[in-house]
Amino acid sequence: MLEVSGLSAGYLGENVVEGVDVKVGAGQAVAIIGSNGAGKTTLFRALCGMLPVSAGQVRFDGEDITGRPAHRIARAGLAYVPAERHLFPRMSVHENLALGAFPRRPDPSAVRLVFDLFPRLQERRRQPAGSLSGGEQQMLAVGRALVSRPRLLMLDEPTTGLAPKLATSAYEALRVLKERGVTLLVAEQQVPLALSVADRGYVLENGRIRFEGASQDLARNPEVRRAYLGVA
Amino acid sequence: MKAVVLDGIVLGLQFGLLGVGMTLVYGLGGVLNLAYGQMAVLAAMVVAVALSGGTPALVAAAAGLLAAAAAGVVIDRTLMLPVYRQRGERRVLLGLLLTLGVAFVIDGLLLWRYPDGALRLAIGGEAVPILGVRMRVGSLWATGVSLAVAALLLALRATTPGRAAHAVIQDEAGARLVGINPAAVRTFIFAASGALAGLVAVTRSMTSPVSVTAGFDFTILALIVAVVGGLGSVAGAFLAGVLLGIVSTVSAFYIGQYITTIVLLAAAALTIVVRPRGLLGR
Repeated sequence: MLEVSGLSAGYLGENVVEGVDVKVGAGQAVAIIGSNGAGKTTLFRALCGMLPVSAGQVRFDGEDITGRPAHRIARAGLAYVPAERHLFPRMSVHENLALGAFPRRPDPSAVRLVFDLFPRLQERRRQPAGSLSGGEQQMLAVGRALVSRPRLLMLDEPTTGLAPKLATSAYEALRVLKERGVTLLVAEQQVPLALSVADRGYVLENGRIRFEGASQDLARNPEVRRAYLGVA
Repeated sequence: MKAVVLDGIVLGLQFGLLGVGMTLVYGLGGVLNLAYGQMAVLAAMVVAVALSGGTPALVAAAAGLLAAAAAGVVIDRTLMLPVYRQRGERRVLLGLLLTLGVAFVIDGLLLWRYPDGALRLAIGGEAVPILGVRMRVGSLWATGVSLAVAALLLALRATTPGRAAHAVIQDEAGARLVGINPAAVRTFIFAASGALAGLVAVTRSMTSPVSVTAGFDFTILALIVAVVGGLGSVAGAFLAGVLLGIVSTVSAFYIGQYITTIVLLAAAALTIVVRPRGLLGR
């Protein structure tokens, strides 16, 4: 589904991530874990065309999408939910969802799926997105991405700004999506949460991949446990 | 007094459309187009030349609007490219300087080719009574056309290009993430802005002549309307346009034509002091 090889990207000529290899198979859930500043957001922005790639290749469904503009990558079926969400604040919840299917009109069954997953959004469908709470905005950002029926859903720190209880329910929603066959790539600092949903994970440190493997192997790895799971 | 206010509304609808063209381009690309009035004059001169060549009025008007829209596309796709690469304050400044340059070039070329050029569409000299006031037929035409275009703009909001434009105005990164190409939307809006400027020049010429030197007057008027309405707000520009149109005719009637420009500028300055976001800005 997604094959990233030797990817480097950054800002003002300086690479923040370097030589990153990541693979996501169809139907899989994969986590990129790492602390603040490890380069998770830079990596995601480069994958979805929001940031130029300085070296390496991104293949999506066998097609080379390296360096394509963001709107074309989005239309190819790679949906990205950034941590800052980037909703349309003065449009209603429903209008935000509808734009997810741009340039087509949204498929009613896709909207229904979002409302099933997040009943709160249905209650608030006429409210402007800017008036929602942080948790609701996160739901809306995920919902808007889902309405496009993406082949790959990328989420950057979906728990940003959420209380612990809401963070847990956000990951429950992700588990439901995975069971429905949505392919997921999630960047996360809260490693236990991420590994609870992911099949495989990559540990990103200072812009490079330090470890990779099945989630249960990563959770057993002594170095990962010391650095990310708070175990001495 | 009633007649003066009614005249103000006629003028104000045109002010509103003028402001919309200015405010949309700013909302989308952060560019205050100082060549905006010259786009209007360009359209007016194309119409005048076509009319003098015996072209039917509607065809001539369409050609004028098309010329102004084409000028918008060319400006957006050439000179504005380095502007869009900048961010924040630098984008606004570079946009101001480059469009000012375009304004001088268009002004110079038009003045050189048509030194005495003016567009005057005389539509029926007689007056008809409306709401107990005698209105000239030209005013009625100008009002009808302005209202029709305003309704068209409202209807456009629900279309795919309209939704895309609003998405880019509210969050450009978000727009790209849902598959909208901001550059294409900007070009479309720049063209529409040119056509709007041209349209206002044509409706203006139904009540008073539009001369080849009117460019900067149109630009300043559009800026005032856009600022008072709130930069980026279409509804605000309409509201501000109608209000300022009434202020303008009342002030011209009781104080004098020259002072009116100062009164309008004062209204814009007062808006910035009292309500920097404008009437309906955010």
